[in-house]
Amino acid sequence: MARLSITKDLDVMVEFEGVGIRMPRARKRNVNSRLRRFAGEASPEQVWRLRDITLSIPAGQAVAIFGSRSSGREALLRLAAGTLIPDEGCVRRQAKVVPMIDVAAAMTRNMTVRQNIYVIGGLLGLTPSVMGDLVPRIAHLAGLQGQLERKLTPLTNRQINRLAWSIGVMTGERAFAIDKTHIGEDLEFASTVKERMSQMRAEGVTFIVASDRPELFLDDWDRGLVLDHGSIVADTTLAEATVVYEQLGGTDVDDDSDLRTEETFEERDDLGEEEVWEEGGDERPRKRER
Amino acid sequence: MLRMLVLRELQTQYSRFRFGYLWTLLEPLGLSIILWLVFSVLLGPRHLGLQPYLLFLSVAMLPWWWFTKGINASVRSFRRNAAQLRISTLPTQFWVLRVLLVSTVEFLMSLPVVVIAVILTRDLPGPLIVFYPIAILAQFLFMYGIALALASWNVIAPDVARLVRLAMRGLFYLSPILYSVSNIPAHVRPLAALNPLVGILGLYRIGWWPQEIEDMLHYGVSLGIGLISFVVGWVVFRRLESRVLKES
Repeated sequence: MARLSITKDLDVMVEFEGVGIRMPRARKRNVNSRLRRFAGEASPEQVWRLRDITLSIPAGQAVAIFGSRSSGREALLRLAAGTLIPDEGCVRRQAKVVPMIDVAAAMTRNMTVRQNIYVIGGLLGLTPSVMGDLVPRIAHLAGLQGQLERKLTPLTNRQINRLAWSIGVMTGERAFAIDKTHIGEDLEFASTVKERMSQMRAEGVTFIVASDRPELFLDDWDRGLVLDHGSIVADTTLAEATVVYEQLGGTDVDDDSDLRTEETFEERDDLGEEEVWEEGGDERPRKRER
Repeated sequence: MLRMLVLRELQTQYSRFRFGYLWTLLEPLGLSIILWLVFSVLLGPRHLGLQPYLLFLSVAMLPWWWFTKGINASVRSFRRNAAQLRISTLPTQFWVLRVLLVSTVEFLMSLPVVVIAVILTRDLPGPLIVFYPIAILAQFLFMYGIALALASWNVIAPDVARLVRLAMRGLFYLSPILYSVSNIPAHVRPLAALNPLVGILGLYRIGWWPQEIEDMLHYGVSLGIGLISFVVGWVVFRRLESRVLKES
């Protein structure tokens, strides 16, 4: 199935029609399950994360999404942006929706700020032709002016998160799906974020933001959505959605997503250190020489 | 965008070592010379392969080098770029294509090794050398297909990458690199034709050794299987694509 299908309805930015998606559960690392996976058996390890979602987000709307980690919040955003393919139903979008979901994790620590802007910007849809102009503006927005040739390693996480956010909003697209920006911990930067996003909102940009504190991003929201166990339990104003979410008990802890993140980090090759394969891949990987 | 990603990767790879580009030439050349010493000088003439043996070896060694490096690297490409895959609006297969293109550029840059071998052995190729670029294209398609399938599979079962490394070692001896197809006993030759590399390596060599294509049928079968692998690879990838995105 194509990752990008365009809807003809110009007033609708993103449209979900009976969408469902199964996501893999935490990895249990025993031989038996590994063998079964090897044989291609997938079903027992996948659970429905979202089911039967029908939703229409008009162009220019600002939607705040509430939900615990296991509620399917992130899956909804990734589906909206097209970085996930639904298992049932379909998602249509009128224009590109920029997936600003944990952008900081995709950055390469031993590349310079400039190189990261090029790579991440490219992934989010910037073409090299417009990049030259944008690079200094992105750096300025992130408060990293004059540090373009510095590597990311000495920067603080806070600076990296700021850079990630700045690249995202500077893509100049008409719609954004935002999650895991880590802006909540960075109150100093929050005013820049808010100012910029309000301005874009006035220009008619669509925002879909998953956050427990949407007030950090924008003052006025058109809509609040509450997700719980894979379905939409409230689709209303921001104030009412906040109430519903609080009644649900906010963030719950008994889910597997924490575990999953840890495990994938452990299993994944460290992105910062490229492996060198020698002698036609016959030798063990060696860490990059510095 | 793809071009930028490829260039960036090449840049970091070459800035890492003092001799940079020289290694691209020295590694396959060195290995060819070592194998030539062992099989031609130390073990004496054994009717292994065709003459001149040094040229015979290096003509197949470079594509093999490309094959093993490209496949080993691309198998891990989805897994390694999981964080990028999450935010990328580019087609999913770009990540495999990128690694593959990097190894292809390296291969093309290592071609002077063949020129060196030609000069050393003073053996110029005949008109059938026109098949050389076709061989490159065939190998690229074959590699792209299996790389897509293996990389997707590796996301679901991380053990695939290790298995592939082992398989590569086996394939080195199962493919006519050290030897010629004519060294294979006639009754197992149809079995050898099942290996797409037999056909591809044959195409590289016929410029110098037209007698290599005596068994046209075997080459046809071998190249056909290469093409089928490409199609199968695509189908497997398309079916696993949604899974790859989920695991990222």
